[in-house]
Amino acid sequence: MKLGKRWLPAHILVWTYAVLLVVPLYYFLASAFKSNDEIFAHPFAPPSSLGLGNFRTAFESADLGLAVVNSALVTVFSLALTLLLAIPASFALARSTGRLAGAVEKVFSLGFLIPTFAALFPTFLLAAATGLFHTRIFMVLFLPATALPLSVVILVQFMRTIPPEMEEAARLDGASTFAVLRHVYTPMCLPGIATVLLLNFLTFWNEYLYSLVIIGPDPAQRTVQVALPTLKSITGTDYGVLTAGTVLTLVPVWLVYTLLQKRMQQALVSGAVKM
Amino acid sequence: MTTLTTTPDGSAARRSVPPPSPAPAAGRRRQGGTVLAVPALVWYLVFMVGPLLAIFVIAALHWPGMLQPVSFAGLDNARVVLDDPVFWDAVRNTAVQLAVAVPVMIVCAFMLGYYVAQRPPGHRVIRYLLFIPGLISTPAKAMVFYAALSPDGLLNGGLESVGLGSLADAWLASPSTALACLIALDIWAGIGFTAVLFAARLGSVPDELGEAAQLDGAGHWRTMWSVHYPVIRDYVGVVTMLQFLWTLFGSAQHVLLLTQGGPGTSSTTLSFLVYQKAFIAADLGYSQTVGVLLFLAGLVGLLTIRRVFRQNY
Repeated sequence: MKLGKRWLPAHILVWTYAVLLVVPLYYFLASAFKSNDEIFAHPFAPPSSLGLGNFRTAFESADLGLAVVNSALVTVFSLALTLLLAIPASFALARSTGRLAGAVEKVFSLGFLIPTFAALFPTFLLAAATGLFHTRIFMVLFLPATALPLSVVILVQFMRTIPPEMEEAARLDGASTFAVLRHVYTPMCLPGIATVLLLNFLTFWNEYLYSLVIIGPDPAQRTVQVALPTLKSITGTDYGVLTAGTVLTLVPVWLVYTLLQKRMQQALVSGAVKM
Repeated sequence: MTTLTTTPDGSAARRSVPPPSPAPAAGRRRQGGTVLAVPALVWYLVFMVGPLLAIFVIAALHWPGMLQPVSFAGLDNARVVLDDPVFWDAVRNTAVQLAVAVPVMIVCAFMLGYYVAQRPPGHRVIRYLLFIPGLISTPAKAMVFYAALSPDGLLNGGLESVGLGSLADAWLASPSTALACLIALDIWAGIGFTAVLFAARLGSVPDELGEAAQLDGAGHWRTMWSVHYPVIRDYVGVVTMLQFLWTLFGSAQHVLLLTQGGPGTSSTTLSFLVYQKAFIAADLGYSQTVGVLLFLAGLVGLLTIRRVFRQNY
């Protein structure tokens, strides 16, 4: 389709919105290298030096280094547990034709409709009852459960595309069920597994409210998303430090996004469609 | 939808938790593998379905604090909640938030998605940028807005530098603008991400459809709303439902980070009220009663949206 002159207003509107998206990010990046006085005097000016003082202060005053480690631990272990639970379950559901498997699959897909936020307080009680309150361990156990419905639905669809002859051939060679899962299904579903990993990486790394309530404010345990807002009060709002801290938490996600842009968009789109 | 489905959830699940008893060989070939789904199922029931059912139980309890004695209250909590003016303020704020944020977001995102799907010059850059708010965590988004809207932040600085300093305000601390700021945050972050979803779906609409309409003399505006919109109407419905739920349930985090519900109750939303009553005021029965109401509101909203967007050709 030709885009004529009458598209001029559309171009302008779209690029205005794009600027609105970029300006705060630019402001953040620039401010991370400035002092408060510089920020107030010239909010839009590029930084005069690239000193890392603000980053150092952010690291020290909010223990961000430890928080990043905590976030990484929670994210990595939750991702591993999600795959450990979701891959065998999807395998089982994809190759069974029985009514039971159908019912189980339905139970998982209904999980999209559960608003996890509403159950925040009961989850907190569960954490208290299991003695895992104020620990990262509970989050590692809990987060995979919230990710299971979407992960299972996506993986089942991928596994259904594998022809049954593949399994039959492996069986003739004497492969056990686990061998079939390990050597046939898992390798052939790597694109699906990557999708699930990316989606869950984003959710787990960015999780805030549950981490706040369940892991709590203890600097030794808290994740980076919980530590970040404390910069606001600790520093009496030193914007330079605040923005430096925020930039730090964005770096991992932004790196993954830039490297895997196409795949990330596909993953999120397919995630939203399934919901 | 959720209430309707939790009961079948629970019962279907209970039936399938014990591993299927040893069946004849033929049966096991088809069913035996299902055991592999049991760990995931148990996990999901313990951490997701269990807490969900607990909301309803706690809502019927009189529980004035974690260490206080618990007694059965029946519908007393509901009476207290419905008599509380704070609750009605929260209802009003949530209604305003939904009525403004969701339609603006969906309409703008659809048009933006259509624009991107036509592959205008620079669409790759646009697509890359649109996605950024979708990647940023809630606290980071809140910090962006905090730095932009605080008294000596980006917006006031910008206003002053163009000579409009008299318009500057303490945006987040003023009762007339606090809620508007939260809505602006939703819209700012939501349009881009939603537009990417629409662009992906619109990309799979055959080009011939639009071209045929243009040959018949329809402009882009007509093509967008009379050809493409009806084709992806049910998808628009799904995305609207998602945004509705995210706005309804997710607002607690933004409120907590930016305004704490204040000044007064001017930015207290329902989902923030659930959080505040549970973790700050320690009135657990009240909190979970609002939780149940919130849940029902979500359910009614979903069913309504589904009806509105039902395919009707």
